[in-house]
Amino acid sequence: MSGVSIESVFKRYGAVQVVHGVDLTVEEKEFVVLVGPSGCGKSTTLRMIAGLEEISDGEIAIDGRVVNRIAPKDRDVAMVFQNYALYPHLNVAENMAFGLRIRRMPKDEVKKQITEVAEILGLTEYLERRPADLSGGQRQRVAMGRAIVRHPKVFLFDEPLSNLDAKLRTQMRAEIRRLHNRLGVTSVYVTHDQVEAMTLADRIVVMNDGNIEQVGTPMELFNNPVNTFVAGFLGSPPMNQIQGTLTDQGAQIGGHELRILGAASGQTGRDVVVGIRPEHISLEAGPETSPLPIALDLVEPLGSEALLHGSFGDTPMVLKVDTHGDVAHLSGVSEIHVPADLVYLFDAETGGAIRGQAN
Amino acid sequence: MSDEHTASIPKTEKSNVEVRHDRRNERLTWLIDHFKREWQIYVMLAPAIIWFLLFLYKPMYGLQIAFKDYSIFRGIDGSPWVGWEHFGTLFGSDQFVRAVWNTIKISALNLLFGFPAPIILALMFNEILNATFKKTAQTIVYLPHFISSVIIAGIVITAFSPSAGIVNTIIGWFGFEPIYFLTKPEWFRPIFIGTGIWQEAGFGSIVFLAAIAGVNPSLYESAVVDGANRWQMMWKITIPSIMPTILIMLIIRIGNIMEVSFELIILLYQPATYATADVVNTFIYRQGIQGGQYDIAAAAGLFNAVVAFVLVMTANSISKRFSRTSLW
Amino acid sequence: MQNMNLYSRGDKFFVKINMVLVALFTISTLYPFIYIAAMSFSSGFAATSGKVVLTPIQSTLAAYNVVLAEPEFWRSYLNTFIYTIGGTIMSLLIVIPGAYALSRPQLLGRRFWNLLVAFTMWFNAGMIPFWLNMRDLGLLDSYFGIIIAFAVNAFNIILLRNFFESIPSSFEEAARMDGANEFQILWKVYMPLSKAAIATITLFCVVARWNGFFWAMILLSDESKIPLQVYLRHTIQRLSDDEEFTTTLITAPYSVETVTAAIIICSIIPVLLFYPFIQKYFNKGILLGGVKE
Repeated sequence: MSGVSIESVFKRYGAVQVVHGVDLTVEEKEFVVLVGPSGCGKSTTLRMIAGLEEISDGEIAIDGRVVNRIAPKDRDVAMVFQNYALYPHLNVAENMAFGLRIRRMPKDEVKKQITEVAEILGLTEYLERRPADLSGGQRQRVAMGRAIVRHPKVFLFDEPLSNLDAKLRTQMRAEIRRLHNRLGVTSVYVTHDQVEAMTLADRIVVMNDGNIEQVGTPMELFNNPVNTFVAGFLGSPPMNQIQGTLTDQGAQIGGHELRILGAASGQTGRDVVVGIRPEHISLEAGPETSPLPIALDLVEPLGSEALLHGSFGDTPMVLKVDTHGDVAHLSGVSEIHVPADLVYLFDAETGGAIRGQAN
Repeated sequence: MSDEHTASIPKTEKSNVEVRHDRRNERLTWLIDHFKREWQIYVMLAPAIIWFLLFLYKPMYGLQIAFKDYSIFRGIDGSPWVGWEHFGTLFGSDQFVRAVWNTIKISALNLLFGFPAPIILALMFNEILNATFKKTAQTIVYLPHFISSVIIAGIVITAFSPSAGIVNTIIGWFGFEPIYFLTKPEWFRPIFIGTGIWQEAGFGSIVFLAAIAGVNPSLYESAVVDGANRWQMMWKITIPSIMPTILIMLIIRIGNIMEVSFELIILLYQPATYATADVVNTFIYRQGIQGGQYDIAAAAGLFNAVVAFVLVMTANSISKRFSRTSLW
Repeated sequence: MQNMNLYSRGDKFFVKINMVLVALFTISTLYPFIYIAAMSFSSGFAATSGKVVLTPIQSTLAAYNVVLAEPEFWRSYLNTFIYTIGGTIMSLLIVIPGAYALSRPQLLGRRFWNLLVAFTMWFNAGMIPFWLNMRDLGLLDSYFGIIIAFAVNAFNIILLRNFFESIPSSFEEAARMDGANEFQILWKVYMPLSKAAIATITLFCVVARWNGFFWAMILLSDESKIPLQVYLRHTIQRLSDDEEFTTTLITAPYSVETVTAAIIICSIIPVLLFYPFIQKYFNKGILLGGVKE
């Protein structure tokens, strides 16, 4: 199977360690996204798979073969770079052919490959152009084409969309996913953008400070984050996190009692972090909700929804509510209602999840 | 990606000796691996390094003859040591002391007149609005930089010739007697420095023009709004803005004070003008190459090189302090 | 800003004065060349009696006939081409791969090698040890000696190394993943990406080689191997000492001055032909090398 397996991999630069023992298995045909803030070791991990960085310790295997001491060119992987790395002196066809020519593939075979891939990517009419004469999206496609023509076992993407503007990014994101569905090649994709991670991935790997925080499908991670870091990283706007203590019924935060379904019993008095997703609150009381006072200072209309910026006590809060076509009434909001079944609890000290969402 | 994150390296439970042994083996396999993988860059590097060793570092080994009684037959290694004798001889010789002073005087004059010239020229170019005129003028003033010193000397010799030269022709129009410029010590420095300005001021202005081009245009726009005229803008905006460049170039010049373009001096001077024209390098040339006194000439060269080295290093560290930009 | 109509009266005056001054400097830069050209086409008598100012007096090709009739002139011209072309190729063959290797982060001892190169910009053994070394290496009076001994200089290597370092590493990494080895990366990726920088050092080399005089004079005693610059120098010296030339005949078709001028013109012509190419690149080049951050 042409998956990638990473076993307790470390990366050190001299005395500085940047990846602290990463374990990860990427299944065949799977699209895995490594996501995390800059400096979390995600790019380093990707570059170790590519062979562009040496592995200080541990083992990486591609398609069942350990590649630690195998040169990048012999690993049968292809990479799409953040800045595309298209050769400015070569036209699109020559750029895509570069790797094949180096590998001494016969000319007509090269031509066939390029024609085929250009077709898939809609680049047929641009084959004679130089990268400088292409738009951002087209360059991005050429960069992918260059990877695809080689028919590698694994595609590696290093933040390939971060140089595009927001609109194009959304478009190319969908295109990458469609392409994956069509070609079914094992892919490892690095990004710092959690939306990209959520939309593209079969499985997301959240990294922080050189460690893997959590691995799972996008919805698993969204619904059951294992700690405050993952909880705060996925979701937009991020989850609101408020210090509190456990009670019989739920949690005590800033002098208010919050009812929480299934709160760990018998741990009354434990310090916790209470997590509330911005979109989970409502403005009207329901059967299983507890009210929280909120001091609102800004309403940002987004159209069908609006973001409410304010604070609960000293804790800044961002909330997301439906506008129903009008935001005028939102500026008067002074109280929100938190459903008892949609509250997250984390240990105040370790940040680990005490319980996930009830569903 | 360079994550600045310190962390503990996993500890092993082996003895120190074992660990050290393992490390050495690990290092060795790593090295073998490295050279297997990267031998090509070492092949690429080799010719350059061999060249440097053979043509620049091997002569440094030969510099020891400055402390030896060198004879061609005994060779560098076989010649006996004489300590600082040659340096004593040098500093006791009027000729050498004169050459050192001449070097410093010519450099100082060059600094005084030759250094501001390209800056002034760059400022003047900056005030020209007609693009075609500017480009043509620049093309012409850059040209002499690319002309060899032999040709420059040929032009100077012809132009200053007592009977045929244009300079004496013009002097003649005013009823003066022709002057034998190139045989008069008092005329050597003005001619040499003037030639230097003629040859290099244009080309030297490129650096300053680039610095001027880097000045934020909105500074000028706001000055116009404030009612400044061109002259004021030049003094209040352009010159302060390019001051870092000026300082760096000045420091480089001071660092190179021992380097006088002696090629041109050799071509222009004659025994009659040695009094002002003979510099350290021409002295070395005459003593060593022409006179065969290799050891004394090498000592003079060593003196020159050490002074130059100290000056350049000082200049570099000063410029670092000024601009946080190192020259190399 | 470039709109003259916005200028005050004082500014307009300032700009005009400035233009006149620049024009004067430009003319005085150009004048010596015109003067020498005029001299080379004048008769010996006109030249010697100081009549030549701007245009040829008693136009004649006599000086050129003297110069072009000398087989040594042609020989030295050919030699200059050999030294220029051979030397430049040799430079590029050593400097380009060397600069590339020095720019590679994986090069072991990179700092040391770079220092080894840079140190030669600060400290030089000087004329005598260099000359003795050339003699010991058996490179006196040899074409190869001239071509190899001045092939490299630290400035060019560092200039090019800096340029290579400024190329985003992803180009190299992409090529590496495509299976290119170091030579292929240099040849197919880095060199095409560095055309401007390579052109610049090529031009520096060509100009330095074409104009090289001092060491050629010292290292070559065989007249059949000397380049044009040395020939020019020898000729000027020889003519000044020559009895026939120092006597001023009214009928003299040529003189020291006209012959010197003719050789100067002959050796400037290739530089002038090459000059437009130089111009295109040296602006960039001098800035590339100037100050490193």
